[in-house]
Amino acid sequence: MRPDRPAKRLLFGTPWGVSAISLHFELARRIAAQTARGALRGRREPGELVRQMYQIGNRSLLFVAVTLGFIGMVLVYQTCLQVNRITGDLSQVGGEIVKILTHEFGPTLTAMMLATRVGAGIAAEIGSMMVTEQVDALRMCGVEPIEYLIVPRFLASLAMTGILTVFGVAVALALGTLTAYASFHVNPHIFLDFDRVRFGDLVTGILKCIAYGAAIPLVSGHCGLMARGGSEGVGQATTRAVIASSFVVIVLDFGLAGLSYFLLQQP
Amino acid sequence: MNGGAATLVLERIGAGVLAIAREAGGIGVLCGRVVRSLVPPALDARELKLHLYKMGVRSVPIVVLTAFFTGGIMLIQSGIFVRRFGAYGLLGWGVGYAVFREIGPILIALMFSGRVGANNTAELGTMTVTEQIDGLRALAIDPIRYLLVPRVLAMMIMLFCLTLIGDLVAILGGAIMGKLLLGVDFWTFYNSFADNLKTQDLAHGLWKSIAFGGIIALSSCHFGVSVRGGAVGVGRAVNAAVVAAAVGIMLLDYFLTYLLP
Repeated sequence: MRPDRPAKRLLFGTPWGVSAISLHFELARRIAAQTARGALRGRREPGELVRQMYQIGNRSLLFVAVTLGFIGMVLVYQTCLQVNRITGDLSQVGGEIVKILTHEFGPTLTAMMLATRVGAGIAAEIGSMMVTEQVDALRMCGVEPIEYLIVPRFLASLAMTGILTVFGVAVALALGTLTAYASFHVNPHIFLDFDRVRFGDLVTGILKCIAYGAAIPLVSGHCGLMARGGSEGVGQATTRAVIASSFVVIVLDFGLAGLSYFLLQQP
Repeated sequence: MNGGAATLVLERIGAGVLAIAREAGGIGVLCGRVVRSLVPPALDARELKLHLYKMGVRSVPIVVLTAFFTGGIMLIQSGIFVRRFGAYGLLGWGVGYAVFREIGPILIALMFSGRVGANNTAELGTMTVTEQIDGLRALAIDPIRYLLVPRVLAMMIMLFCLTLIGDLVAILGGAIMGKLLLGVDFWTFYNSFADNLKTQDLAHGLWKSIAFGGIIALSSCHFGVSVRGGAVGVGRAVNAAVVAAAVGIMLLDYFLTYLLP
């Protein structure tokens, strides 16, 4: 497991890397184009969309509730601790927490969690179909695998990411309010101050939900379709899906936060 | 009919609770066994070194990229406050506090869980379904001592190191983005950062990262060695392992936030 000499690696690795990357891009482009076409018009398998919405949405409820709940409590606790140390005025904390959960932490952390659960799930499912040659069988039956496998997951994730984000933010706020009341004696009426959330915050949050919801199934479906070779291949595809979709979420967050900072958050 | 539906719901809730308890118990038992095999400290040093390299050094690029963007995101978020109040002197503090105590350790742990934890489950799972672990046992090699202990130790050590690197990169990312986006120069950023933060804040996050490394390692090893049923099983195990690791990270984060100074 010693690393090769860098020069040798560069010399022999680069052409291989370039061809692998171009292959990736070709597949990614095809997936994006066909998914967009299939989402707009195309034959739908009856019941498949509902099944995927159940898999992606309902089955993630407990996971999102637990993780976002703990995040909400920690966020409130750390913020109150720090504000206590500097100004001691805790009446402003609630409004700011509500605001930042709406436009930043709510969508992004929910999406990070979904990238883990849903991304890994999609890649594992499609990857195992790939290595057991079920995808080839689909193609032989004249069914386009991207349209049949990825389009319903794409639509379901697009719908469910938004709903789960609203749910996650609600759980985080409920537990955060309790924490503020129990540890710092902040009145829940003062804490839950929704007046600071402005139109721009809401638009940013919704845009982020849409972007993450679209990106996660595309990226992880791509990883699943690249799976090759037995159980090892499925494991690798799943790993790659988790990493790639989490990373895409962070990059999209950075881009959208920057965009909204300049366009929507005018003081 | 109504009673039947209610029984069904109760049954499904009970089955869910039992499944969670089984996995949590499995992770707990595995933790005990790993600690037990450390008592006379016999370590396969070569295996440990291999995993330190594979899990730690090869994760540096993804951690550096994640941390850089995280610093940028935190800067933009603090920038919203700073612009409202005109308090440019608090920018470095805002970024540093959020990154050191919470966002840095959590996001790096989540990425680490995706890259290393999932990979580990896949590797151990493949070994389990191809009966290599039974093979080890047949050769009188203790799979826990040989396979699991070096991985658990390597993940704990390496997540600590990666969080340290990631924290520094995130601060650097914040400073660079502050210069580019808000026009705050490096000295203002550095002063506000150095004046308001203590070593305690950095240590708080680093203690957390060791605990996160432990839970990622234990959950990924547990789901890896208990795989059933071929390629499909491996995929499902990887999925379950990353989910369990994410829940574990959030739970530990909550308790450690209260326990640590």
